[in-house]
Amino acid sequence: MRLLLVEDEAGLRDQLASRLQEAGYSVSSAADGEEGLYLASEYPFDAAIIDLGLPRLPGIEVIKRIRADGTPFPILILTARGRWQDKVEGLEAGADDYLVKPFQYEELEARVHALLRRAAGWASSTLAFGPLVLDTRGKRVTVDGNAVDLTAYEYNVLEYLALHAGKAISKSELTEHIYDQDFDRDSNVIEVFVGRLRRKLDPEGSLAPIETVRGQGYRFALTASPG
Amino acid sequence: MNLSLQTRLLFAASLVLTAFLGLTGVTLDRAFRESAEAGLRDRLQAHVYALLAAAELTDEGQLQLPSALPEARFTTPGSGLYAQVYDARGEMVWNSGSTLGLAPELPQNVPAGQRSYANVRIADNDAIALGFGTAWENGTGKLLPFTFSVAEDLGALAAEVAAFRRTLWSWLGGAAVLLLLAQGSILRWSLRPLRRVGRELHAIERGQRERLGADYPQELDPLTSGINRFIAQEQARLERYRNALGDLAHSLKTPLALLRGQLDDNRRSAPDSGGAADQVDRMAEIIEYQLQRAATAGRRPLAAPVALAPIVSKVVASLDKVHHSKGVDCTVEIAPGLRYRAEEGDLYELIGNLLDNAYKWCESRVIVHAWQPGTATGGIGELRLRVEDDGPGLPDDLSVELPIRGQRADSATPGHGIGLAMVADLVAAYGGSLDADRGDLGGARIELKLPD
Repeated sequence: MRLLLVEDEAGLRDQLASRLQEAGYSVSSAADGEEGLYLASEYPFDAAIIDLGLPRLPGIEVIKRIRADGTPFPILILTARGRWQDKVEGLEAGADDYLVKPFQYEELEARVHALLRRAAGWASSTLAFGPLVLDTRGKRVTVDGNAVDLTAYEYNVLEYLALHAGKAISKSELTEHIYDQDFDRDSNVIEVFVGRLRRKLDPEGSLAPIETVRGQGYRFALTASPG
Repeated sequence: MNLSLQTRLLFAASLVLTAFLGLTGVTLDRAFRESAEAGLRDRLQAHVYALLAAAELTDEGQLQLPSALPEARFTTPGSGLYAQVYDARGEMVWNSGSTLGLAPELPQNVPAGQRSYANVRIADNDAIALGFGTAWENGTGKLLPFTFSVAEDLGALAAEVAAFRRTLWSWLGGAAVLLLLAQGSILRWSLRPLRRVGRELHAIERGQRERLGADYPQELDPLTSGINRFIAQEQARLERYRNALGDLAHSLKTPLALLRGQLDDNRRSAPDSGGAADQVDRMAEIIEYQLQRAATAGRRPLAAPVALAPIVSKVVASLDKVHHSKGVDCTVEIAPGLRYRAEEGDLYELIGNLLDNAYKWCESRVIVHAWQPGTATGGIGELRLRVEDDGPGLPDDLSVELPIRGQRADSATPGHGIGLAMVADLVAAYGGSLDADRGDLGGARIELKLPD
């Protein structure tokens, strides 16, 4: 999942970026509003974390312009100002949630997570596809109740495909959303991850969770279980 | 005495006008009366001269007057004009026909060439009499003194004066009425700008205008443009002040966020260092609370009333977005036209904190109800705002401890405490009261009473 982080305080920005990267997100950071807006128009983000008190272009303005461009990704506001008028203004401008500084990092990650799920149309943090269940909060996967041991990258590929279940996702889209911008974009790596995922999730070949769509990429083929 | 300016001016001016017209009337009355009396005296003198011209002294020293005198009233009995002639011994030597049966006492023995006036009563009427002393030389060259006395009834004069008075006072009265009416309308016209200021200030307070109009008379212009500047600056000042507070919050809390993050990192290596993180949270909460208190505008002069329903619906829309997955069913019962005289940011703070708590703690139901018990009387009126939810409700001791200054009410219910403390402070700033108890939905019910 690719995140945009716009925060002017360098210490906090680096701290958040490194912790989000540790959690498996691909993070692009911007130090001011204009840079943030530029990045938002250049890269396909899955979500953005935007501080309201930004130099050069206020956070509210960044959000308004992002929405005016028709970009739909969820936005989480960070704000030092707890005033309700500001929060309401930010949410009205197009943000989806807010967090008042200072916050616990876990709270931030949980909010980002919830936003990503909500954007993909999932109400709960557990994505169930018959025997295959993803716990997106704990980043755990089970098949028929048995835990499957996945690396962070493997999990991220699976989660991205599962959140966009039924849609064909190209290798380049996967690369963009899984890796940081400075990562070596070799589409063969994705093929390797998908191959390992198939073996780990479905050793017998009876489930076939990930299909290859010729010329287009991959598609998560299982349908979500109700409830 | 709290009389209106118009009443004062009208009262004072009427008093002065009445005194002036009264004095004028009295003066004119006296002047007329005196000149009428002077005219009467002149006439008496003329009658005396006419009698003198008609009189003749015989060689025997007898004074003779013709029976037909030029003034017919001398011959008509009781005509009001009387004449008598006395000799030196005071014996009446002649009397006019008009004195028949009356025998009036008129001035006698007046030295020759002198006049003597007297007020007498003739036939039960006041009369004024003139005695004129004369000396006649008879054939032997001896001087014989005679006194010619003439009297005229004052009835005619009194009638004349009365007629004049009637005319005078009716004209003066008419003039007074006209002047008072004119003065009243001049006052109304002159004071109209002041009444307009009052009306427009009232309209500003009711939110029907934003500022006072232009084209006031130049005496009022400094006042009205001053008020307009005050209204504009008041809002700008609050805006600046809040921005400064926001900047302060930003510059204090961003380092706190950084510190908080580093403490979290440390805790992963040293699990016992959680106390410092709690202190950071507490600092942040105190900053938040104190900044919010500082940013409270409270009751401001000339603040227009703010419509409540749009604020509530915006806050509800925001909270619906934030608590999307919870699927809260929020019922808003607020009349569309309901307005309350408070600063908009303060209302956001009140409603935001109350609803945020309700959304956090409810199972699935929240009810917001606002009403104004006093609107029947036509005023903007006091405001009642009630928020209830179907959550676990407030801890029992919380309702007693409100308002809580600068600290959490109960660490077991983070969020409820600080939010409610903020609400309680805001309510106090508006001189209102807060009641917290258990509502019909089973959860917390907070009811605010905010006075007009």
